[in-house]
Amino acid sequence: MAAHNEHRRSVPAAAAGTERPGEHAGTVALAAHGLVKSFAGAPALSGVDLTVSGGTIHALLGGNGSGKSTLIKCLAGVYQADAGTISIHGENLPARQVTPRRARAAGLRFVHQDLGLFDSLSVAENFALDAGFPTNPLHGIRWRELQNRVDGLLAHYAIAVRATDRLGSLRPSQKTMVAVARALADQQESEYTLLLDEPTASLAEDESRELMAALRSRANHGQTIVLVTHRFREIEEVADHVTVLRDGIVAGGGPVADTSIAAIVDMMSGASLTAGSAGVEAALRTPAPPAQGAGARSPLFEGRDLSRFPLSDVNLSVASGEIVGLAGLAGSGRSTVLRAIFGDTALTGGSMSLDGAPHEPSSPADAVRSGVVFVPENRHRDAAFLDLGVRENASATVIGRYWRRLVMNLRMERDETHRLLADHSVRADGIEIPISRLSGGNQQKVILARWLRRKPRLLLLDEPTQGVDVTSRRDIYRSLRDIAAQGCGVLVASSDLDELAELCDRILVLVEGHIVADLDPADTGRSALAAAVMAADHTPVHLRKDQKTNG
Amino acid sequence: MDSSHAPAGSLEAREATVAGPAGSESSRSRPQRRSGGRLPGAHLERFALPLLLVLIIAFFGVFPASSTVFLSGANVSVVLANQSVVTLVALALIFPLVAGHFDFSVGGIAVLSSVVTAASMAHFSLPLWLSCLLGVAVAAVVGAVNGLLVARFGMNAFVSTLGMATLLGGLIQWYTGGLAIIGVDPAFTTFGSSAWLGLPRVVFVVAVLAFLAWYLLTHTPFGRALYAIGSNNRAAVLVGLPLRRYTQTAFCLSGTLAGLAGVILAARTGGANADNGTYLLFPALAAVFLGATAILPGRFNVVGTVVGVLFVAVSVSGLTLSGAANWVDQVFNGVALLIAVGLSSYLGRRRSGQGT
Repeated sequence: MAAHNEHRRSVPAAAAGTERPGEHAGTVALAAHGLVKSFAGAPALSGVDLTVSGGTIHALLGGNGSGKSTLIKCLAGVYQADAGTISIHGENLPARQVTPRRARAAGLRFVHQDLGLFDSLSVAENFALDAGFPTNPLHGIRWRELQNRVDGLLAHYAIAVRATDRLGSLRPSQKTMVAVARALADQQESEYTLLLDEPTASLAEDESRELMAALRSRANHGQTIVLVTHRFREIEEVADHVTVLRDGIVAGGGPVADTSIAAIVDMMSGASLTAGSAGVEAALRTPAPPAQGAGARSPLFEGRDLSRFPLSDVNLSVASGEIVGLAGLAGSGRSTVLRAIFGDTALTGGSMSLDGAPHEPSSPADAVRSGVVFVPENRHRDAAFLDLGVRENASATVIGRYWRRLVMNLRMERDETHRLLADHSVRADGIEIPISRLSGGNQQKVILARWLRRKPRLLLLDEPTQGVDVTSRRDIYRSLRDIAAQGCGVLVASSDLDELAELCDRILVLVEGHIVADLDPADTGRSALAAAVMAADHTPVHLRKDQKTNG
Repeated sequence: MDSSHAPAGSLEAREATVAGPAGSESSRSRPQRRSGGRLPGAHLERFALPLLLVLIIAFFGVFPASSTVFLSGANVSVVLANQSVVTLVALALIFPLVAGHFDFSVGGIAVLSSVVTAASMAHFSLPLWLSCLLGVAVAAVVGAVNGLLVARFGMNAFVSTLGMATLLGGLIQWYTGGLAIIGVDPAFTTFGSSAWLGLPRVVFVVAVLAFLAWYLLTHTPFGRALYAIGSNNRAAVLVGLPLRRYTQTAFCLSGTLAGLAGVILAARTGGANADNGTYLLFPALAAVFLGATAILPGRFNVVGTVVGVLFVAVSVSGLTLSGAANWVDQVFNGVALLIAVGLSSYLGRRRSGQGT
């Protein structure tokens, strides 16, 4: 708490008096010049400039690996940049010397994707865990004072909850605003700069809209806000300026009013403006999948009107021998589609069929029995038995097969495991070492191989190559193509668009629980795909619906 | 018994430790020296506890203060017979522990079973076979309830079985009024104290049950699935293993084994004492955790557990014969438990590559 007061004093006090909108407008609240940062020789930022005007909302956009989170971490002092300067309210700081403490003292406040709030505590306690509890001489907590102070802050930030409410009872947008209010609790005027890292990544549409409105109203009161996001609509609605990062450099930017969505997509994907925008148009207007393809391949799996938050009325089909991609951002419902098909989560509506018969798995075990298998996204948490051997991991899906004449036939199990590992190019020093000793790529190959050995009818994969090196990635793609060639249907959810473009016969684009496009990667460019995935714009849905009724 | 399982495996594990981050080339350049140096180490880890047991037997067999009695047939019989109940309770603990759950109620279940068995004969004059069956059946039901609480209602096993143990202790006190139950069928007591082939009969019962437990855990799909469930229950569900049913089964088996322990206990003591069973639980826990440091290091396993029971029993017997006071028993159990828990969690971590 002492440290806290120190910060308070060190902040240059803004002019006293009532809030004047646009007080800081025109002045530069936060600027970075020539930021360079590399990790083990690989450049993450190579000379990034950023200028944020006071009292505005500045959107920071970029795909995976573009360097936007590295930039934020350099500003926060989590990483020290190799070169460059950061200036805050005109005060220059060499970027090498920025520490979390100095960033904070200079008036930068961060709200990370993980808000750092505790659902089981009250709103007031959540505030106090950051700023300290007000205490009486006996070190007892003065609850009344805490509640009054927090109630005052909540009213100031127009958050319609009470200090005594349990945080868990708040809606997601309110929680984010509580985190915002907590981060800014000690500012006198709106002199701090607030940086939010993907605040809407896991919010539903109406919630994120509400949050954006709340942030806009803070900016109108003179608050400077930097918003890291990948949703285009948010930028259009609330941001004043936009800066787009790609491969560690600033790919473009400017006032949002003068920048079209198409131009931003081109900056993000690196395509030229004209070709890119043509691609966007093409992508958003791609008609239903090729008719002859649909006719030739009988649908192996069909889902109709699948609903389960965040999904609403999702229709999809996977043909035998087809590799279908499911593109979408985090929170788009990619994983929910797969888990619903695998029986790991119940649908609130819709119907599924497998080979013409209804598919209503009551549990994953049930789905496995009907030939549907699933490689989850989080390998360590959901797939690997880390302390068990490679052999035991590889045969976890087929344990019963080795129970011959009332004993486990270990010899047969070992022989088959050796063969399986060889077939899938798994590099391991023996089959009895714990799987945790394998590299991520080899672990994933084992996880995939243990399903492929069951000869599944439908293979579901969630981020199959996350944390997987390039060579293992090739091996995995080869295994997937092989199993598809044998007639298995494959449905791959991934945030890696290059992966989907390389691997899939067809790509479904999922945005906020709706399928907005059905693309053929052969005639869709990379940038068009990116545009479709990131367009938080619902017109394509209507567009497609119209087309359906027409055709 | 399951030596087929691991000598190669743990050796490879060692090599992988060495190879790990350094890359495969460096490990391949000097494999001969490494494996030559590691071979005894890997075996030492697996057989350290059995070896220690042999050394202790040899020591007390030669040590003047205890040598006259220690290796005599009578003492061996007493040690083995006295440990039969603890061994069965330890076996009962293994199943839930393999599935990733504690079961603190096994001691209480064993005593409950002994009370039911003894009371059926002494108070209700039921035939011997029916009394034993009733004792085991009641225990199996309690185990099933534990399984229900943990597997169906998702209660924390650590807390819910502790609650069950307390509840059982209370019920036993209520029924017996704190008095021992005597007056069982003499044939029952005879069975508990007589010998066959020079060894107490109960030892054969324990041996058969230990074999069955070993068989279930290492040579059936159920056992293999149980280890997987204990390793990562979310992953177990997602590979289609019946998590709830197998967890439930583990607790039922645990209850049944504890019930059999109770029947043996009643036969050994010729009745039943009003007790809450902690004096059975703690040595059994020590044995199970000691067992996880041997044979299959880092995993709960039957052979290791039996060695663990013998290790503690032999040590305490030797110390007692050498004139140590009777508090040595508890001190030894406590120290063994602490060392065993520390060692087994360390070995488990190292095996999965997290602790190195």
